[in-house]
Amino acid sequence: MESVLFGIGVTALAGALATIAGAAEDTESNIGSQGDPNSQVQLAPQMGYIHRIYNKAVSGEPPAYGLWVTISAGVAWAFMVTGMNPVLALVIASALAIFVQGVYATTAYLGRTASLAKFEQPVYIDVIKSVTTVTMAHAFVAVFPAVSMCYLIIAALNHPFPLALLGIVWGIALGAAGSATGNPFYGKERQYQSQKFGAGVPISASGNIVRYAEAGQRSSLDNGWFTAKLAGPASGICFGLIVFFELWRTVLFESAAAGWGAIIAGVVLILIFMIIDRYIEVWARKNYGPYKSESAEEVSA
Amino acid sequence: MTAIEASSSGGEGINPVASVIAIVLILIAIAIAYFIAPPVAVSALIGVIVGGLLIGFGVHFVPVGGAPAAMGQSPGIATGVAMLAAGAGLAGLFGGAWAAANPEFGFAIVIASGAIGGGLLMAITCLMVNIVYIFGMGIPAASGKVAKDPITGDTQEAYKSQGTEGHGLPFISYVGGVIGGLLGGAGGTLIYYELLKLYSELLPSILSAEAAQVVPIAVSLAGIFAIGMFLVNAVLAAYNITGTIEGPHDPKFKRFPRAIIGCATASAVCGLFAILIVVV
Amino acid sequence: MTVQVTASEGGIPHNTIMAVGLVGSLVCLYLTYANQFLNAEYAAFFGGLAAVFALLWGTDTIKHLCSYGIGTGVPSAGMIAFGTGVIAMLLATKVETVMPYSAPIAAVIFGAIVGAVSGWIANSVLKMNIPVMVRSITEMAIIGAIVLMGFTAVMAGGFSFDTLAVQEIAILGPLTMPSYAGSLLGGCLLAVSFMLGSIALQHPFNACLGPGEQQDRTLMLAAECGFLSMIVVAVISFAFVAFAAAMLSLIIAVVGFVYTYIRFIELSKRDAFAWLDAKPILEPEGED
Repeated sequence: MESVLFGIGVTALAGALATIAGAAEDTESNIGSQGDPNSQVQLAPQMGYIHRIYNKAVSGEPPAYGLWVTISAGVAWAFMVTGMNPVLALVIASALAIFVQGVYATTAYLGRTASLAKFEQPVYIDVIKSVTTVTMAHAFVAVFPAVSMCYLIIAALNHPFPLALLGIVWGIALGAAGSATGNPFYGKERQYQSQKFGAGVPISASGNIVRYAEAGQRSSLDNGWFTAKLAGPASGICFGLIVFFELWRTVLFESAAAGWGAIIAGVVLILIFMIIDRYIEVWARKNYGPYKSESAEEVSA
Repeated sequence: MTAIEASSSGGEGINPVASVIAIVLILIAIAIAYFIAPPVAVSALIGVIVGGLLIGFGVHFVPVGGAPAAMGQSPGIATGVAMLAAGAGLAGLFGGAWAAANPEFGFAIVIASGAIGGGLLMAITCLMVNIVYIFGMGIPAASGKVAKDPITGDTQEAYKSQGTEGHGLPFISYVGGVIGGLLGGAGGTLIYYELLKLYSELLPSILSAEAAQVVPIAVSLAGIFAIGMFLVNAVLAAYNITGTIEGPHDPKFKRFPRAIIGCATASAVCGLFAILIVVV
Repeated sequence: MTVQVTASEGGIPHNTIMAVGLVGSLVCLYLTYANQFLNAEYAAFFGGLAAVFALLWGTDTIKHLCSYGIGTGVPSAGMIAFGTGVIAMLLATKVETVMPYSAPIAAVIFGAIVGAVSGWIANSVLKMNIPVMVRSITEMAIIGAIVLMGFTAVMAGGFSFDTLAVQEIAILGPLTMPSYAGSLLGGCLLAVSFMLGSIALQHPFNACLGPGEQQDRTLMLAAECGFLSMIVVAVISFAFVAFAAAMLSLIIAVVGFVYTYIRFIELSKRDAFAWLDAKPILEPEGED
């Protein structure tokens, strides 16, 4: 019983760490403008819309976070082998990973922006100075909990994978969860804030991103301020739920029904999430209604 | 993933000559394993091939819209298909590896654990995508490729906002995502589990050490190979669908036989090399 | 979206870069064998230089492949390169235990086989019909194997399977015992090399693509990514090689990184439309 209680405690802590990591990950990627929405930042100057938004085209968020978390995990492991205190090792290793992240961010901004010279997009040095440090800070808040969670899973729950391998697994999953949940909110709701609410961005509007703020010109920092209110927490909940339920079903039900307990629990969870999804889908159809009358739709169908 | 979108269509239908050559390659790989490796290696190679084609098949179910999805211009999840599938598959690998570490659990439980791990990640991620679309952006889900959702029968056309190809995840895409996660998780775990069994059996004599001592090496090798082969298969499958797909109802889904043949062949060659490490 | 993958024409021909990359990285990998004749692993840093050569070559390969539009992002190419490369590299380290001094060549051969099959599958079975597909994926699998081998050499001082799998740890002073969990393979540090290499391979072209892409700037960024990755592996190498050797690798990595980073910023300044500090948006003339 005591070991189960201990396992549940670790599971809750890991879930909490994952929530922090997910929320910070999405906010970081929106401040830096990474992933799919960045295609619009890239496209805008070609359409004649010069902007002062960061252009952190490192790669999609999953491989990028796979790299930051794996660096942190691998370096921390090497430090621990040489006898360093685990907490200290995790902090220093995360700092090194964030140094790498910062360098990749600046080279991406400089490289992409310099290649847009034909469209008269200048390089704004103050953007690099002010935004890079903020993305690095957020990335640290994302990477350190993520790698701590990996360490916790090994040290307290006896997962067989070494730390670096868990880093690659959860780093890519962190990026996948954060980009899937957070990208539409940054891409549609923030970049195209001037477009109608409650509808997708018409393809004809592509590239016409919002470049001016309430006062002055929009900075990428404003994007983090905006998305931290919904997309960030939503990404955090997404990744936190994934980690929590993944551990919870194993810790609690692994020994039930000759090993099938954890699997049955997983199937039940998937079905519950599926029902919730269907419920909100129908809720949206009822409450928001169709964009045009159904009769016109039947003709085209 | 980045600012790049498909320019080559990829074409439909399978290439019969290439497919036959591919199947011959698979048979050659199995034959080599049969002649130079102990019998346990042949079953491991077959497991790896099956795992690879499960991954390739699973990627076709995952609804990924790429860059346009981030603007609500096309349905699906707004990220890269290979990496989203990798996220799900590796989360499955995490669960499967955990179950595999328990000696009491047999083959079925390990693979099922991996499958559920991947499916659970996709179930939660797809739900959060719809929550952000519906409650964050006020946009209902609508498919651009079919008039009616094949599962629920909901009409789609009227719920597409003007000037877009649809947005969000209709229920068929949601189910597709979960199935993709299940298949990816099962495939990745199958590769890992087969290689782990092989390495645990053969490494002690190679390194002249006790079985318990080499467990970390076996786990690491099997783990990094599983991740490597997962990425190879996921990227090949992503090439097959040229980056974006809505789910099992998308016309591009019909291209899956090519990916199955291709991923099985790639896995056969990669798997043969992975087996040779403990045989040479 | 409608963003086209555009890249510069001309510059150093791809075959030249490939020859320099292949020969340079193989020579550097063979120089790491000098560790066997030194009293510490002072030659380990040559592995990092091998990775830099290979990444320069790989950047040019990715540029050729991705200018065709492969349907998904540039990063996926880095992933397939290292997914195939890791298998070729580990098999080569195993061959090393049977045939000494064969690992670098073996990595190239195995990489070429796995890469050619993967490229052929993509091109013929999946009907992508891109003329450079088979050649590019083959080259990238070789590059993946070389980069992983180079980083492994930096971390552990060598790349024989047996030395990678066991780490002697001291107990009670002069007594040592073999530790498998504490070895490079047991800690799965290949995962770190894997991610470092796959991002470093795709980043230079991904970050510089656009109509103003210049070959010298992209290649400078490739060298910068290589040295940056080498810093990380040099830090990890403190766990495996002698302190002085690890320090040497770290210093060379930092010096190389600082030089290439500054050069990259200068080249960006050269190519940029304007280089402004705290200036407002310059609206193009003729528009609002």
